[in-house]
Amino acid sequence: MRARFRFPVALAALMLALPALAQKDRGLELFVRPDKGYCIACHAVPPAAGPATRSNIGPALSGSRMRELGSPALHELLRDPTRASPDTIMPPFGKHRILEEREIDAVTEYLLALP
Amino acid sequence: MRFPRLGLALACALASFASHGAADDARRAIAARIEAQLAAAAAAAPVEAPAQAEPAAPPGPTPAERGKALWVRKFKDGKSLASCYPNGGRRVAASYPLYDGRLKRVITLEMSINQCLKVHREPLLEGTDPQTMGALTAYLRSLAEGRKIAVRVPAAAEPRFEQGRRLYFTRFGQRNFACASCHVQNAGRIYAEQALSGAVGQAARWPFIRAGQAVTLQAQIRDCLDRMGAAPFGAGSDEMNDLEYFLTYLSQGQPLKPNTPR
Repeated sequence: MRARFRFPVALAALMLALPALAQKDRGLELFVRPDKGYCIACHAVPPAAGPATRSNIGPALSGSRMRELGSPALHELLRDPTRASPDTIMPPFGKHRILEEREIDAVTEYLLALP
Repeated sequence: MRFPRLGLALACALASFASHGAADDARRAIAARIEAQLAAAAAAAPVEAPAQAEPAAPPGPTPAERGKALWVRKFKDGKSLASCYPNGGRRVAASYPLYDGRLKRVITLEMSINQCLKVHREPLLEGTDPQTMGALTAYLRSLAEGRKIAVRVPAAAEPRFEQGRRLYFTRFGQRNFACASCHVQNAGRIYAEQALSGAVGQAARWPFIRAGQAVTLQAQIRDCLDRMGAAPFGAGSDEMNDLEYFLTYLSQGQPLKPNTPR
């Protein structure tokens, strides 16, 4: 009886997890695309979370630091970092429409899931 | 009567000297800032030169060889580009861009080439076309290779230098970068797996050779502006010429090293 339910439950769990996984993958894509965020040009990420680079214009990114910031602050930082730090050279991705709101959400998800 | 004239001449000379001093002060301050930034970047994360072979030159003539052919080509009136310059163009490139007090404009090497073509009723060249203008600058600058950059900023040219400096430090475009964001503030750091060059010395090294083509300084600046998400200034525009004037004066005294492969 229990075995009969195991497959549908696993399928349902997978279906629930898929959008989050897809969002994270989309986030990575936006993170590395030169015509989109291209965050990888300035920031290094932990091994296996993205391409290995020597980028050091901005700080190396870690999951613990991103989670410490939290989703709303991270989203706002991506939208317009000049509000918090007027002299930063980080582009205002949302304010200057480099990324759409949904795309900023995807990058935020990717950053929060970093190791 | 002679004394007032002498006084006027002296005042002009002093004004010229003072103005030159202002541009020189700006140059020294920026150079010191870049030097400190390069040292800090090297101390934080020493950049190892990537072990890569120089890109193989494509078969056929080099850009400088193509430029030489254009340089000596006879116009319809029997003259050539070489006839427009002293010593056939030898050693002249190190003093460009120069300020024309009569036109109140900065004159670049490319503009001087087109001026010569215009005088001899020949078709003008596109400022950043690598096949023609790029090749010609590759040859003309090779005739001054090793010569130290000796650009003058007389008092009357100070506003042009200042405009170039202002543009260099102004944030542009969708990405909100200034040229200085990368080449002053972050010189020596790694962007997209490349160490960012400092602003001092950039104007000594053009044109550089990419995929067998000569890329002029203005073509490179246009490429940068495009990547910054900004509409690039036109090649030969006053904005672009002022930028080149400022950038070249930053490299004052550095030996010309054109045609290096990238």
